[in-house]
Amino acid sequence: MFLQLLINGLIAGSIYALISSGFSIIYTTNKFVHFAHGSTATVAAYFLYWTFSGLGIPIYITFPLTIFVAALFGFLIHLVIYLPLKKRKTSSVILLIASIGIMIFCDNLMQLLFGANVKILSIFPHGRGIEFLGAYITPIQIAILIIVLILFVGLWTFSKYSRLGKIMRAVADNPELAKTTGINSVRIQHWSFVIGSAIAGLAGILIALEHNIEPSMGTHLMIQGFTAAVIGGVTSLPGSIVGAYVLGLVENFGIWWLPSGYKSAIAFVLLLAFLLVRPQGIFGINKGARE
Amino acid sequence: MLSAYLIHIAIIIVIYAILAVSLNVAVGYTGLLNLGHIAFFGIGAYASAILTKNDVPYTLALCASGIMASLFGWLLAKITAKLKGDYLALATLGFGFVVYAVMLNWTKLTRGPLGIPGIQKPNIFGWQITGAGSYLIFASVIALFIVLIIYRIVHSRYGKLLEAVRDDAIGAQALGKNIYHLKVQSMMISAFFAGIAGSLYAHYISYIDPSTFFLSDIIIIFTIVIVGGLASLRGSIIAAIIIIALPELLRFIDIPSSMIGPMRQMIYAVILILILMFRPRGIFGRIDLD
Repeated sequence: MFLQLLINGLIAGSIYALISSGFSIIYTTNKFVHFAHGSTATVAAYFLYWTFSGLGIPIYITFPLTIFVAALFGFLIHLVIYLPLKKRKTSSVILLIASIGIMIFCDNLMQLLFGANVKILSIFPHGRGIEFLGAYITPIQIAILIIVLILFVGLWTFSKYSRLGKIMRAVADNPELAKTTGINSVRIQHWSFVIGSAIAGLAGILIALEHNIEPSMGTHLMIQGFTAAVIGGVTSLPGSIVGAYVLGLVENFGIWWLPSGYKSAIAFVLLLAFLLVRPQGIFGINKGARE
Repeated sequence: MLSAYLIHIAIIIVIYAILAVSLNVAVGYTGLLNLGHIAFFGIGAYASAILTKNDVPYTLALCASGIMASLFGWLLAKITAKLKGDYLALATLGFGFVVYAVMLNWTKLTRGPLGIPGIQKPNIFGWQITGAGSYLIFASVIALFIVLIIYRIVHSRYGKLLEAVRDDAIGAQALGKNIYHLKVQSMMISAFFAGIAGSLYAHYISYIDPSTFFLSDIIIIFTIVIVGGLASLRGSIIAAIIIIALPELLRFIDIPSSMIGPMRQMIYAVILILILMFRPRGIFGRIDLD
């Protein structure tokens, strides 16, 4: 039982980490809460469903295409909605409300186009899990754990050593100072939306494979992704990933005592607790985070 | 048939006008960005429904629904006292979600997803309201009272204090005003009237379930407040009429009824985003949201 919950927690954590890391990349350079980030994953999942199950395009084309579409989707949202708002010097709260509007628009658009019922993507048969010390794990779940691990090593190297990664951290750390050294911060913000949304696209694919697809999943993903980011420290990429695993484990061990319906509420209770006690998260630096 | 439909829309408008006006007290006048207002609406609805199911007289249940919601308002203001901006918005959103999850899962009290059916029509000191027409009159009278009370509050010296909390908290503090108490009181007032609106809703629809009080429905109330303008009661009332009535036009277009729900939400989302982009102060707004 313990091992099973541990495995479930790690898999849930991996998926949350895919949302929270992208969210964190967007947040650090843009300094506002992009709540529609979960919807990017929903749009990606439905795009995959449409191209694979609807049009019958093989997976080696649809998978990269889905990630591309997710990146494009994030870029367009930033270009069409957030950028004009930012040009008017609107506060981050307005951007947050706008992003909730976008999220509700996307979720309902997906419901309108594909129906409210749950969609199942049958690319790989779900099959019986492999038994491992009394716990079950399916091949897809193993794949998720490995893919996510590779991605994070890649992300870490990117942010630490690549030019763009360094510039992004510079903009995150001090946008004004970055500007004076000739960095085009709008271009960097575009890039963080593209990269963050591409990761959300990957999350959409993996969720479509592991769970089912439904219109409201973006909202739930965002609650968990955001909570994970706050737990770890929104401005810290490794922090947001650690936070995701903490949340995945707490949720899965939590339903030992609580009815499973409370699963999403656990995330919010944890969120409230962290906002009150340690708003900068585990790894964040306190720069007046409550402001 | 048409008149019955119009009366229904009018009652819904009245209820949402109360919700918007009460939210405006917190968001517009005091600057507390509360995204969990729908939770107070839900708490009021459930409190009133459960009490009348247990043979509590309606008038008492109506008051209790406001008081219950107000108590939760106190709790929310207490927990989020030190948060500002984004963090306050998200913590209140979280509060709304936790309340929703409790409604859904505390099946002994709320019957969970099954909801509470057969909520009786109000009986006020022997006057039994049955028809929708008389309910409209009843709800309108209550709404009128609420708007009057809130109007008195926000235009009083006390209302100016609340606005001082919004505009310059440190300045008000320097003059010896207790910012914390003012915030808590404002949230409690706001929650109280949302609870009353919840009770009005429950006894009108006669069936409530948690899905009415889900997170995404906050967008309706928020769109009304933003479209009407922050710190404008007149704006909230006019916007309530526009925002509730507008998507009803969908019924006259030939589309399947299952599509109406999502399309309504999409219309609200588009209106909200457009108004934020092109007229962030709304119709009658005096201040910017920040």
